[in-house]
Amino acid sequence: MSDNKYICILRSNSGACEKPSAADMESMYASYQNWQQKFADNILDMGGALGSEGTIVRSDSVKDGPFVELKEVIGGYMLLTATSLEQAKAVIKASPMVASAGTSIEIRQINTP
Amino acid sequence: MNSIESLYRHEYGHLVAILTQRVGVQHLVLIQDSVQQAIEKAILKWTPNTTPSNPTGWLYLTAFRFFLSEQRTSKQKNHLLAQNPIFTDNQIEKLEEPPLKKELSDSLLRMLFLSCDDKIPAESQLVFTLKSLCGFSISAIATRLLISEENAYKRYGRAKLFLKQQHTSASILHNEPQPSRLASVLRVLYVLFTEGYLSSHPETAIRKDLCFEAIRLALLLSKSEWGNTPECTALIALMYFNIARIQARHDTLGLVLLADQDRSTWDQSSIYKALEYLNLSTKGNSISRYHVEAGIAATHCISPSFAATKWENIVKAYELLAQIAPSPLHTLNHAIATAEYRGAGAALILLKATNPPHWLSCSYHWYAVMSDLQYRNVQISEARENAAKALERTNSVHIEKLLHLRFERYEQALR
Repeated sequence: MSDNKYICILRSNSGACEKPSAADMESMYASYQNWQQKFADNILDMGGALGSEGTIVRSDSVKDGPFVELKEVIGGYMLLTATSLEQAKAVIKASPMVASAGTSIEIRQINTP
Repeated sequence: MNSIESLYRHEYGHLVAILTQRVGVQHLVLIQDSVQQAIEKAILKWTPNTTPSNPTGWLYLTAFRFFLSEQRTSKQKNHLLAQNPIFTDNQIEKLEEPPLKKELSDSLLRMLFLSCDDKIPAESQLVFTLKSLCGFSISAIATRLLISEENAYKRYGRAKLFLKQQHTSASILHNEPQPSRLASVLRVLYVLFTEGYLSSHPETAIRKDLCFEAIRLALLLSKSEWGNTPECTALIALMYFNIARIQARHDTLGLVLLADQDRSTWDQSSIYKALEYLNLSTKGNSISRYHVEAGIAATHCISPSFAATKWENIVKAYELLAQIAPSPLHTLNHAIATAEYRGAGAALILLKATNPPHWLSCSYHWYAVMSDLQYRNVQISEARENAAKALERTNSVHIEKLLHLRFERYEQALR
């Protein structure tokens, strides 16, 4: 059977009140270092990172970002293929992204006609 | 500094900015007097029970009415009215509407963009920002920048005069801030922060309040349509990384070098906030000196000890900085990091290959670094010569004490 496509939306608390662990901070630092390294190597590949500007459209208003003040910030997304939601869950659980407190990943199947 | 005082200071900046935007920068002096009057009135009149429900609105109206009454008694009234159609009667009603919160912060930022004009000397931009937007008095500015009041006043006057000459009509009222000026605005905010951070003022509170003013304005800027850029976010990250360590930079004896700082006093919540802004700053497609400098600060903040510092990352960051924002001070810091990573010999080779400008090559900073590296590379006679030159050129007792201690350590090791 053919694989389904899933979008995984990474959310993280922007103003976390829990005391951050050294491991959290280390991984945030590492992700910055990786980003900087791309410039140092002259390879500009922004991958699936999301731009900081955006717009939230509601029925009665349009609000332009960045949404630094929001409680949760969508930090990125990834697309994956899996045979089922269960399998997609297993893949995401194994990824280092969910390891840090205050981060959640929402998995939604992409229904293509 | 108490919170009431800073509350009034911030109101002062907002009110000066909004009145300037509404009636024109050519009236700046009278605007400042009017706002001062309104705040003094509030301090005398308000008690916890009688504070108006909209304090900002009250202060605004009081200041505006004072401004108007001064105009009416002035001989130049007719001339003023002719020059400023804004003072015709139906316009005055409009001017009496208390400003909204967004309008206040927008005015503050417009004023900031206006004063960050490259034609105004940087040191004047700084004093002007502190006086007009942060509400510090000239004497408070002199204390914080460690300059004389006369000098502070001169710097302030230069910016004021320029703005007055440039904007003799109400032309700025509808002027949009120029995006091209954002780089200057960020630079002024960084200088404002650094003045507080590097200050050798003995009181921590005094050093901190310049830093907090810079952070406050940078946060405001990052939330506005004119300043929400990756550069601004990176600058905020850099400021938080540094403010986290400000306490540890000083002890009862004076300045404390990074290697000797008590890392347990670094403020972890500021470091966490800094990391969040740093990661947010990567969500664009450009890199700036603020990104890389914040990355360097992050490397220090993350490291459990001086010995465990990832010097390789820091050296690489300085190499990147040399490409995107070359500066002789970065080169000097590059050498210091290189000494930790590859040894003092490699650092000396790096410095020998550079051609520092005169202001740096004859500063205590340059000689102190040279001497330090030469001691470590066992070039003792050169090291002693440069140590003496460094001590001759210090301009502060704190630095002198610090250098003495450092050189003495090397001398003791030789005995």
